[in-house]
Amino acid sequence: MKKLLILLFIGLGSMTINAQADTTPLKGKVTIEVDGLACPFCAYGLEKNLKQIDGVESIDINIDEGSVLLGITKGKQTSKNVVLEKIKEAGFTPGDIKKENDG
Amino acid sequence: MVKFKTILLPTLLLVLLSLEMAAQGPPIFTDTPIMLGVQGRGVRTFGNIISKENANAYAQILVVPYNITSKWQVDAVVPYISISPEGASSNSGFGDLKVFTKYQLYKKDGKGKTLRGLIKLTETFPTGNSTKMPALGSGAYQTTLSLVNGYVTTKYGIYGEVGYNSAGNNLPDNLIYNIAVGYPLLPQKYPPNQLNLFLELNGNYVFDNIGNNLFLSPGIQYIAGRKLLFESGIQIPLADTAPINQQTNYILRIGTRILIF
Repeated sequence: MKKLLILLFIGLGSMTINAQADTTPLKGKVTIEVDGLACPFCAYGLEKNLKQIDGVESIDINIDEGSVLLGITKGKQTSKNVVLEKIKEAGFTPGDIKKENDG
Repeated sequence: MVKFKTILLPTLLLVLLSLEMAAQGPPIFTDTPIMLGVQGRGVRTFGNIISKENANAYAQILVVPYNITSKWQVDAVVPYISISPEGASSNSGFGDLKVFTKYQLYKKDGKGKTLRGLIKLTETFPTGNSTKMPALGSGAYQTTLSLVNGYVTTKYGIYGEVGYNSAGNNLPDNLIYNIAVGYPLLPQKYPPNQLNLFLELNGNYVFDNIGNNLFLSPGIQYIAGRKLLFESGIQIPLADTAPINQQTNYILRIGTRILIF
């Protein structure tokens, strides 16, 4: 039982480390899939949370597509895990992140 | 009442079901399991105009929710009540204060949809004057444990709430049950400009052989941008356990929700 608990803690610890490890930089424009985006009035919290990220200059929430187009200031960058964490804090489930052409 | 049940109720259901569905906000009389937006970062206030056979009353209610996390919320409900009975002097003042907390039990999100459930614990404090008639409060501490569930998509929303209310001071316990369906009328977008229709059933089964109270509650809601929502609904009794001369004719609710945090 004791060994099982130790293994469980090690397992949980490594999961946490893995979850925090994705520091892939995000630049320019990125589209993030956001699951659970079914109530437009609830999206205010999502917009507010994403605005707190340093370098984010535009947020375009598309309820129909269940996605957010994030514009990051030229010369600045943020990381994937920061964006995903802000979406989770807002009460939604983040999905794939796709880089958009800046045009 | 018979006319209402046989003609108006089926017509209302038919009209609602035939509408093109498109997104919605929280129900007007039933609780929501989605503790986002104004549910966790704003204030809600509404006026209830209550018409009874033997009295008219007005209750202005202020609800202040606060999200501790996205899964955990605390709320305070402060009512100010004015009652004018027929042939007797009126009474007004603060009613019973309620404090409740909600905790999200589960969440299953998909593209444009979410299934959520939470547990809600409500404590009612007998702060309303119950010694002078007409009484403004129940005169009893009450504790309610509820489960609130909802399945919300970009096309419709279904909400359900069931709770057991345990009352002190020899008042009977009761079972609270609410169900709501929401249908958006306008295409959804953000920032929102939404017009939503709701049809709700709000029930309350009182133990100790007292019986069932049930309201049919149609309502309309307008979301005017990121931070402001207006709503109105009317509760029409389908079953009322009060004596004939004290029964409820209707309860009209007019309210707003404002995001401030």
